Amino acid sequence: MSIARPKSALSSPNRVVPVLGLLALVLVWVLDLGAILPNRIVPGTGHGLLSAVGWVGATLVTGALIGCLLLSVLPLRSRYLTLLILVSVSLALLPLLLDVFAARHLPENSPYARSSIGSGFWCLLFLLSLMLIEIFGRLGSGRGFQLIVLAGICGSWVWLFQGAGLESLSLVREFNAQPDKFEQALWTHLALALGAVTISAGLAFVLALQMIRSVAWRRPVLGVVSFLQTIPSLAVFGLLIAPLSALTEAFPVLQTLGIRGIGWAPAMLALVAYSLLPMVRNTYVALTEVPESLADAGRGMGMNERQLFFKLKLPLALPVIVEGVRITTIQAIGLTAVAALIGAGGFGSFIFQGLGQAAMDLVLLGALPTIALALLADALLTTLAVSLRPKSATV
Amino acid sequence: MMRVWAPPFLLAILLCALSAGMPILEPLYEWVQPDKQQVIYERDSFLFLLQNHITLVLISACIGTITAVAGGIFATRPAGRDFLPLVSQIASIGQTFPPVAVLALAVPVLGFGEAPILVALILYGLLPILRNTLAGLQGVDPTVKEAALGMGMSPLRVLLQVELPLAGRVILAGIRTSVTINIATAAIGSTVGARTLGDPVIAGLVNGNTAYVLQGAILIGLLALTVDSLFEAAE
Amino acid sequence: MIELKNVTRRFGQAVAVDSINLTIETGEVCVLVGSSGCGKSTTLRMINRLLPHSAGEILVDGEDITTMNPEKLRLNMGYVIQGTGLFPHWTVARNIAMVPALLKWPQARIDERVHELLTLLDLDPAIHAGKFPQQLSGGQAQRVGVARALAANPNILLMDEPFGALDAITRENLQQELLRIQQQVRKTTVFVTHDIDEALKLATRIAVMDQGRIIQHDTPENILRRPASEFVENLVGKQDRGLKLMSLRRVGDLMQRYPQPVNPEPGVEGVQEDDSLRLALSVMLWQENGELPVFNGEGAKTGVITRERILQAGA
Repeated sequence: MSIARPKSALSSPNRVVPVLGLLALVLVWVLDLGAILPNRIVPGTGHGLLSAVGWVGATLVTGALIGCLLLSVLPLRSRYLTLLILVSVSLALLPLLLDVFAARHLPENSPYARSSIGSGFWCLLFLLSLMLIEIFGRLGSGRGFQLIVLAGICGSWVWLFQGAGLESLSLVREFNAQPDKFEQALWTHLALALGAVTISAGLAFVLALQMIRSVAWRRPVLGVVSFLQTIPSLAVFGLLIAPLSALTEAFPVLQTLGIRGIGWAPAMLALVAYSLLPMVRNTYVALTEVPESLADAGRGMGMNERQLFFKLKLPLALPVIVEGVRITTIQAIGLTAVAALIGAGGFGSFIFQGLGQAAMDLVLLGALPTIALALLADALLTTLAVSLRPKSATV
Repeated sequence: MMRVWAPPFLLAILLCALSAGMPILEPLYEWVQPDKQQVIYERDSFLFLLQNHITLVLISACIGTITAVAGGIFATRPAGRDFLPLVSQIASIGQTFPPVAVLALAVPVLGFGEAPILVALILYGLLPILRNTLAGLQGVDPTVKEAALGMGMSPLRVLLQVELPLAGRVILAGIRTSVTINIATAAIGSTVGARTLGDPVIAGLVNGNTAYVLQGAILIGLLALTVDSLFEAAE
Repeated sequence: MIELKNVTRRFGQAVAVDSINLTIETGEVCVLVGSSGCGKSTTLRMINRLLPHSAGEILVDGEDITTMNPEKLRLNMGYVIQGTGLFPHWTVARNIAMVPALLKWPQARIDERVHELLTLLDLDPAIHAGKFPQQLSGGQAQRVGVARALAANPNILLMDEPFGALDAITRENLQQELLRIQQQVRKTTVFVTHDIDEALKLATRIAVMDQGRIIQHDTPENILRRPASEFVENLVGKQDRGLKLMSLRRVGDLMQRYPQPVNPEPGVEGVQEDDSLRLALSVMLWQENGELPVFNGEGAKTGVITRERILQAGA
């Protein structure tokens, strides 16, 4: 969505960033920046901003936030560019706060002691990200530029997290305890989610074509897939266990393939079922979107049905289909996390294990990558969809 | 009129009957799970779980709707126009977050129990309503608004008598989406300590008791269908 | 009466309306005409404060509009826009009743008024009152729009290109309606259009606008006979003027009258007293006849009109 901004608006103060900045300032001083935990289970002692990072750190953080405030209010030529630099650098260097915090407070001789991220840090991260979104919007920059800046910030975080300073972070400790499991969870998660999307894409294509060919198929197909969507995923996973177990008991050969009442088989089945609605609906709409008058024009000029399909209908339908894939993928990534409850693996297993053990950072180790995967898929697929749109639409 | 409301009514009756009278189906469950002593979930009565589940979803739907609609109205007024781009972006990016992850994130901050569930349900649930409120209000024909103002209606009246009624359909669709997602998320909430219809499912998965799982799953599914057909009838 | 004194409207650096002075007498139809972007719509919308004016004064019946409550101001002004702006979720009757309801009229009076207006605008209340705007044709919808504007009997009527989106035949019908209504109720009307023929047809006085300024403010006849600048001349159509002037005058004003109306000869075509001279010329050309019988409303022949008289009057 683009909003026309006359040049004169650039000199009028931005009201959003000061509100966010003020809120961040208040919260970062009031809430704990982090906590020191003597071991994995016991809740630790929290530290406010001043105690956590000392006068220097506190001044830097406060200074950066006040800088954002001033920059948005003062009339400057390249206000948003300066704001962008300030906010993105702040975001990129944010983990340093945790680094300093750990260095200052971690007890020397406790191998089990660890530091944990506090709500003050999270709020600061959240509000700075909102500021970034607002600034991107006001700059009207292209997607490529935005992705570069984001990649820069993420790269900085990855680099900082690999350094020794953040080793004591509880989150990092959890990761280091089982890096292989993390990797395996990643691949399982991707395999399940992407596998389900691919299978349902194929099925959806076939179904959509059938629905186009014969009207009688339309309502029943749409009815069945919407019905499936209304039922909560947990219920569907649960309902599939009994029949699948019965099936695998009746046909032991299935067990050798790894199909069981629980595990990846019911998960995949349910994921495909859930992915069908958005995919079928989008594919059907995409393929029927082309007005008959256009098709007739093509026929009148001598195109046969096959050429019509590949040169006209498919290119026009592709952006809508990609949009359907995007929605489905995001949904599948989320549902795969729930499937961990029936033993399917993936990041959800960290979440539920963590909940069971009351180890909050294990929960984070599962939740954050899930969110990151979803956001990544969203960014990639949106860029793909935008690039596939017919160029004339941007005239 | 009766025709329209019959399906939800019937479904609701089935739901309540099954919640109250699940033990009637004991023989069925014994057949499904012959190797367990206890086949009917007994830690809490199904009616209690159903009630709790509905209460959680209802509260979060009410608070979520009020907040989201208020926010949507604010962002489309002249006073709040500066915030509109950001609010739109939040509404669409927020929907990329998987609900289970949002639920999981609420626990480190708020602990176990009903509080994190409620917060997660409200925060996540208000996103579809917000997006639809924005779309609905922005979709009102500007000539209609101009005519209303030009004829002498106060801006408040225009909002209440013109914009909201015309956007009502879209907003209701958003509430429907939100409630559907929240029913599913509340079910998972049993993993963080809330007592909902997900309890028998989780208990069953932990203990390998398929009968429990079935009972929970059937009731959750029925609840979802009942609520969905209620919304269908309302539209 | 509406007075605009040195009224200016700025959008940032751009000046949309540049210090205009305009007085609209009570009961007159003032048509603002000009091409797109000349500032006519902006001027109209400043009168009912949908747009604030950047400088100058606007007085309605002697009162400065900035001192008045904007809603009260607008409740006393009917407002008709292109595209009608009828509320799609209200019936035709409820749409028309909008301002009376806001003014808290008793329901019986509202119902009566709705009925009266629908009849005035040639829409059968029994058929149309309960319909929704989407069920009406473009012409019917705009009639409802006009009815809505007249509902509370405002002193002033503001119309912003109301017939622009309609086909030519419907447009002409509605223009005739407006003239007829204006004869009955005599409302102070400000009418905006880009169509010079519409302006010539409807106006008591025309204000020609260009680039935010009023180039000429005068009666239609004077605009045609004595255009103030080449711009106005081109606007009215330099070479079309003669015929346009003819369309402003009635046969009845120039005919040779018989002392008594007589019975017409059967099978002879002529013109009515109320027809325009332009129409008379057209009929003369068609019949290849320099003289036409003139009839009155009852069909009796009241005189003749000759080509020579018409050509003389053009001077």
